Parts: sequence; structure tokens; C-alpha cells
Amino acid sequence: MTALEDLRGRVLAAFPGCEAHVAYGELTIHAPADIVHDVLAWARDDDAVRCELLADLSGVHWPAGDNEIERQPATTGWPAHRMERDRGAIEVSYVVRSLAHNHAFRITVAVDDTQPRLPTATDLWATANAHEREVFDFFGVEFTGHPNLTRILMPDDWVGHPHRKDYPLGGVDIPYDNDKFIPSPDRRGLRQVIE
Amino acid sequence: MASDTELFVEGADWETVSDAVTDDILTVNMGPQHPSTHGVLRLVLQLDGEVVQRVDPVIGYLHTGIEKNAEYRTWVQGTTFFTRMDYLSPFFNECAYSLGVERLLDIEAPERAQAIRVILMEFNRIASHLVWIATGGMELGAVSLMTYGFREREHILDLFESQTGLRMNHAYIRPGGVAMDVTDDFAERCLALCDLLGDKLGEYEDLLLENPIWNGRLRGVGMITVSDCLRYGITGPLLRSSGMEWDLRKAQPYCGYEQYDFDVPTDDAGDCFSRFLVRMEEMRQSMRIIRQAVDRLPGGPTMVADKRIAWPSQQSLGPDGIGNDPAYIQHIMGESMESLINHFKLVTQGFTVPAGQVYEAVESPRGELGYAITSIGTNRPYRVHVREPSFVNLQATNHMCAGGLIADVVAVVASIDPVMGGVDR
Repeated sequence: MTALEDLRGRVLAAFPGCEAHVAYGELTIHAPADIVHDVLAWARDDDAVRCELLADLSGVHWPAGDNEIERQPATTGWPAHRMERDRGAIEVSYVVRSLAHNHAFRITVAVDDTQPRLPTATDLWATANAHEREVFDFFGVEFTGHPNLTRILMPDDWVGHPHRKDYPLGGVDIPYDNDKFIPSPDRRGLRQVIE
Repeated sequence: MASDTELFVEGADWETVSDAVTDDILTVNMGPQHPSTHGVLRLVLQLDGEVVQRVDPVIGYLHTGIEKNAEYRTWVQGTTFFTRMDYLSPFFNECAYSLGVERLLDIEAPERAQAIRVILMEFNRIASHLVWIATGGMELGAVSLMTYGFREREHILDLFESQTGLRMNHAYIRPGGVAMDVTDDFAERCLALCDLLGDKLGEYEDLLLENPIWNGRLRGVGMITVSDCLRYGITGPLLRSSGMEWDLRKAQPYCGYEQYDFDVPTDDAGDCFSRFLVRMEEMRQSMRIIRQAVDRLPGGPTMVADKRIAWPSQQSLGPDGIGNDPAYIQHIMGESMESLINHFKLVTQGFTVPAGQVYEAVESPRGELGYAITSIGTNRPYRVHVREPSFVNLQATNHMCAGGLIADVVAVVASIDPVMGGVDR
């Protein structure tokens, strides 16, 4: 699609440090973690791009090991992720959509899964609030500068991040304790993320 | 800020509370078990008298880990999970997921299957809006609407049951097409149902449009502008009622929506009443689409021809509403060992999907419903993330409620129309 190729050219001209490819009719921009906030701000504010809507924000966990064979880059043309095999990665994808120009594309950033940390996008789109809490809840990615980074779907006192690949589907001890006194949220000693 | 004193009120000891409160701000819990919270939504309200200062929605009470579960099931089994997320719009979940998988597989469902999808999705949109008007009306005191809305929805569910075997959670739309062909009287039933619903919608409008209580409770309540909608990621009827004509069926057509002639209703007030108007008009437009789709329902297969992917859909209906085609059973059991093997592998092991990542979005009754699907080339999804419109839209509760009265919180939550199965997934 030419519109996507045009967008791809714009991204690479503005951010030479990014990689971009079109697959399955979708444009994906791979941004390094240190400039991802700039890329997102550019996607929102550049006149020719102007993505008013952050449609989706989600994560995918790629644990350490040989993922590339399974991802079949040779047969599908879908490129492998950028981390080395001895380090696991969490890929966070922002799907941004422009209503004015009627286009959407994905901005992907890969972070190390041992201490994943990204700048928040809540200053650009308020809707990132709940999405980032969800990614924190499920993958443990800390979004620095987020106003209220607590668990959102799992219980507040849950241990572990369930959507990581090393987290099993079943057989997890459920830490519900019906007799336990549960203090109010500001006194639970939840993990604060302060940069 | 709220007082530091924590109080536990058990029974009629309200005086202990009123004596202990030193400032005027009271933090009150509403839900999760509250008749007006559409399930298990919990709202933490900070109140100054009757005026709401702040609302914090607390969610997660219905979290069932569907996304995680789907990583351990085959691609076809995925439909049976995702249809249970937003239980008021199951066809949209199935369709968005199937479209995503089809894009990864580089296949397209046959035209007949696409038209059936459109008809069922539009009926589903009407059914979902009917539940909205029924529950929303009841919460505002119009109790008779509750029975009316559910009464009409029942007719739509009867149609779904006759075609898919189930009233809800159908798993009828599958990657590659639909699970089985529609019955011979499908077109007739659809048109009869449209006639019935058209009359009933007029009745609701007669009841409500000039009703002083309905107007008083909804007009000027829960206002939001287009720019705030976009900031909070709000799509669907809420965005359209603020004045933005945005509908994925028009902007990014899927399932052949570009062939149908329909309007995108908008309103510019941005309050709860304009959401009512927009949803009523949307139901009429859905019927327009259904009539056109039924008129030109194409013939042909309802599942792709590729036998490696196609779920055996050539089954005839038995007296119990579902059953196996005798010719097909004869073929796999008596004639072709290879067909039996293929059938067995397809049902147990499923097909593999090429590696890649897609984001497929459809216009659900609540807004943009997106499926971010990641495959690594196996017979199971590597990761599926659902962009649920209810989950996103709920974030604006505070924006719409703050500064209003506590009674308006009920009207605002009803107008957002969240489905907790979708919010918590």
C-alpha cells in the first residue's frame, strides 16, 4: 500500500534510529526504548501523521532462548525481534490511529524482561493510563511517570505477572485469605515507581 | 482530601460516621454488587454532600484470564473463548478474531459467509442496544422499558438460536467462514424480525422522546467533547454523540460493508440524551443494512475451500437443531481414510498459522473492538490481546461525572454502556 510506504518513509526520515517494515498490510515501527516517547509524540503531533487516538497498547513476552526458528522469518518475511537470544524481551506495541488521515500503524519497542522500564505515554494520551496499568499488571513493565501504576485486573496483592511466558496457566497458589484484614489502597505498601 | 479516619459501619450507627467526619468530603464505595453498575463494577466516589468530586472505577472482579487461556488452545478453539468476553456482542468478538486470523492465513471468507456475518452482527448490535435501553431505562426509573427491551431482544436471540444452536456465545463465526450454513427460512425470518423491531423502536421513542423525567435525567448530563473523547480513547456511539462522524464500517470497511448503503448517525450535544438518540438511530441503520444484505444474500459455500483450514461446515440440521450431514459421515467413515485423518487432525490439532502480528478492529456496539494477534507459526496463538471498548471507555467516568450529582453517576455509567465481561476479560 502506497500510503503505508509513504508513512514509512516519513518515520525513517524523522527517526533514522528506527526500523520500519510493512507486513500483512500493516506498518510496524521498531523504536529503541530511549526514543520511543519522541516517536509517539511525533506520531501524535506531526501534521501529516496526526494520530489523535491511541487505539491499543499491549505487550508480548519473548523469553530468552531460540525464538527465531519458531517465528519463521525466512518463510513469512516477518522480522525477528531485536534482542539477543540470551536475553528475554518484552515487546510493547502501541497502535496509533489517525481519524483525520484514516490510517493506523504500530510502534513497537522491545525492553529487557529482567527489568523492563519505559517512559509513560499518559502525558500524550490520557487513555494510556489503563492500558499501561494492564501491561504492568500482566508483564511487570514499569512505566516511569505514570500517575497511578497499580494492578488493574489482578488483585492488588497478587504475586507475579501472569502473561509472562514463564508463568504457568494453572497450578498457581491463589493467595486469597478471607479472614485477612485488607487495608485501604494507600496503606497497602504497593510498589511505587519513582524515577 | 478525605479524612484519615477509617470507619466501619455495621447497621444503623450512622451517627458515629457523621460525628467522626471532620471535613465535608466523604469517600463512599458504590458496587461491586450494585444494581446500576452493569455487573461487578466498583466505583469509589468522593462526595461533597451530593456533589461528586471524583470517581475512581475499580475493575477486575470478573477477570477470567481468557487471553492467557487462548494461548493454550488451537486457533479455532479461540473463538469459543473470545465470544464469551463481551457477552452482549459475541458475534463481534468472533468476527474480529476470525478476520485477524484470516489475514495471517492470507485467506478471505466466501461472500455468502461475509453477508451472513454482517446480518448476524447487525442483529447483534440491535440486541446489544436493546439491553442498553432496557437496563439503562430501569436504572433511571423507567421500569417498563426493562421488560420491553428484553422482550424484543428475545426475538433476536431466537433467531440466533435457530441459526447457530445457541442464544449467546455462539462460536459460529470461525476463521475461514461460518460454522454452518443458514436455514432455508433465514431471509424470511430476518425480514419479519426487522418489521417487528421497526414498530417497537417507534414505541420506545413515543414513550421517551418527550418524557419530562427522561429528558431531565439525561439532558446536559455527562457531557464530553470530541477532543476529550479522543484523549480518553473513546470510540463508538459516545464519540459519535459528541459530533465526530467516525465509524470503522465506513472508514476501514470489512466483511463487505462498503457495498451497503447506510448513514452514520451523529449528534452534537455530547450528553447522555444525545447518546440515546444516536443509539436509537443506529438500530434503524442496522436494519437498513440487514434488509440490503438479506436482499442480495449470495449463494455458494460458507467456508473456504482449503480443506487444511476449513472446519467441516457442510452439516445439515437434525431435529435437535444441530447434527451431522449423513453424506459427510458416510464419506469420512466409509469411503476415505485420508478424509477421516484430515478431519481428526483438524479437530484435535488444528491448523498452523504463519508467523506474524496483526491488529484487526471492527466497530462493535461500544466502539472499536480490536484484536492484536501474534503468531509464531504454530497451531496456537502466541499472544492475543483484546482492545475492549468498554475497558477504554470506562476511563472517562471521572471526567463525565466530576462536578455532577451522585444520581447522575448512574445515568453516566448507563450511557457508557460497559459490559464487565469485556472490561475484565
